[in-house]
Amino acid sequence: MKTSLPSLQLLFIRVDSYLPDIFLSTDTSQVDFYSRIYLHPFYKMKTNTVIRWMSLLSIWMWTGEGQIFQPELTSNAFLAKVTSNTVILKQPYCVFNQTCPGCEIWLVAGLCSAKGTFDALVNSSTPNILSLSPYPTAFNPSSNNFFLTRVGLLSDFPCNQNPNDQYFVVGADGICSGVNCNGVLPDGSTVCFKYLLIDANGTLVNSSDWSGNITLPKLLALNTISDGLSARSGAMVVITTILCVAAALLLLLFLIMLCVTCCTKKDGKKISVMNSIRIPRYDTHNLKERVHPYDNPAYQPDLKNYSTSSTLPRDGARKL
Amino acid sequence: MGARALTCLMCVVIALNAIAAAAGLALFAVAIWVTVDGYKLYPISSVSGKDDIFAAAWIAIFTGFAFFLTCIFGIFAALKRSRGFMMAYLIIMFIIFLFECASAITAVTNRDYLIGNSNLVKKQMLQYYADSSTQGKQITQTWNRVMEQVECCGADGPADWFQYNSTFKQMFGSTYIWPLSCCKRLSTFEVEDKEGCMVGKATTIFSKGCFQYIESVLSRYTWAVSWYGFSVLMLVFLTLMIAMIYYMQLE
Repeated sequence: MKTSLPSLQLLFIRVDSYLPDIFLSTDTSQVDFYSRIYLHPFYKMKTNTVIRWMSLLSIWMWTGEGQIFQPELTSNAFLAKVTSNTVILKQPYCVFNQTCPGCEIWLVAGLCSAKGTFDALVNSSTPNILSLSPYPTAFNPSSNNFFLTRVGLLSDFPCNQNPNDQYFVVGADGICSGVNCNGVLPDGSTVCFKYLLIDANGTLVNSSDWSGNITLPKLLALNTISDGLSARSGAMVVITTILCVAAALLLLLFLIMLCVTCCTKKDGKKISVMNSIRIPRYDTHNLKERVHPYDNPAYQPDLKNYSTSSTLPRDGARKL
Repeated sequence: MGARALTCLMCVVIALNAIAAAAGLALFAVAIWVTVDGYKLYPISSVSGKDDIFAAAWIAIFTGFAFFLTCIFGIFAALKRSRGFMMAYLIIMFIIFLFECASAITAVTNRDYLIGNSNLVKKQMLQYYADSSTQGKQITQTWNRVMEQVECCGADGPADWFQYNSTFKQMFGSTYIWPLSCCKRLSTFEVEDKEGCMVGKATTIFSKGCFQYIESVLSRYTWAVSWYGFSVLMLVFLTLMIAMIYYMQLE
């Protein structure tokens, strides 16, 4: 019952606020219908069943228009909607509908486990709600685990506007030291929010419902990123294997070539020409290769005209 | 072997050596391009100590030029039909071959360590961005330039900045979730919408990650050194085969 009463108030006052703008409102058909029914000089907060049924019906019809009774995450697709220590909420348009000059909307942000603590403190009617749990010590181990921060004046969030692109960042002040500053939430906790309507004297006038549980992701440490080798690419395997094989093959062939050339140096008959006579040459003396005692250098220029290069002595072939 | 066949073989050796000399000179030029690092991404590989791609490029500069000189010597040795020169040519070419192999293998192996996946680059960014050490300044400058020019944010996306703890978060985390380099800017270099960028409105922030760009640039350097070096080596392998046959045919 307690929660439906604010809804009834909401409905009546919404109609009330619409009356002057009745022809400017976009939902003229619905407003006209209600204005005819409820344009009665006296609407009291009586639990009249007919009024309750009609208002419940109206509430059902109005919920599609984005009226909120609890804090909600913004509907925009912001990348930082929920980070490890901040949350972006919708601005509290049309949450409270009483006319309350000088009233302000405040936000209670705290761990979801502290909902009961807060409600108990409020119900025991402590005089100064705003300094109940200052931000700097709010999340210490034995503390209340919630803090209050100001969102804005009630008059800044009227019901006839509901821009969905407006947002409110919880945690915008970072790690701050004021009593009611908009500080960051504990890393990785599950948080709940509630709006409060506080009047100019600092007394609580009204409050919304608690929001759903919002779980903040835990901040990951850098050493959770494993920067070792991930995988070997195909290119690496191909290049390494083929080049190693090629280098080994080259070395092998090089050694084979050296062996072959060294082995074929030792034996083999050589034929040389003594003037114009071809005779096989026998190594009758223990001579080195380079010495050709049987060649007569004086006749070498003539030899070119009479014989092919394969039968010439080696010295002659080089000169030609 | 017949004289004509030997002459023919000599011509083949000279032709292959000429092509290998040109290829070696091109390798020299490409390796200089890699070393000069026109994309200025050297700090990303040097800060983590994995700059072997550039070390391989330095080796390729020397081997490329050495291939050029040695192949010209090889042309001379083939013309001279001298076994001694050809032997010297073969030995020198073999040594350069080994060094170039080392360069190609080093470049391609190191690439896998550095940019196989985005983890190393991401961790380095989170650790060194906004750090006040020398390495931190280099990384900060490099990342700022990359994020602004390539229009990207973070390694895999802006989420990197708020999912992980980082030096940037320690220093500026209470005001900024990610650096302002991630924000779209006007032609006057002013941030287009600072408030929108700070909450991550999709039209005001670059939402793609920079890793793809970094990976493509470093891969380009690696392929220049390793794949081109590999193809030069295959050509040189063929040349050396023919040169060895020529050597055996010489007296």
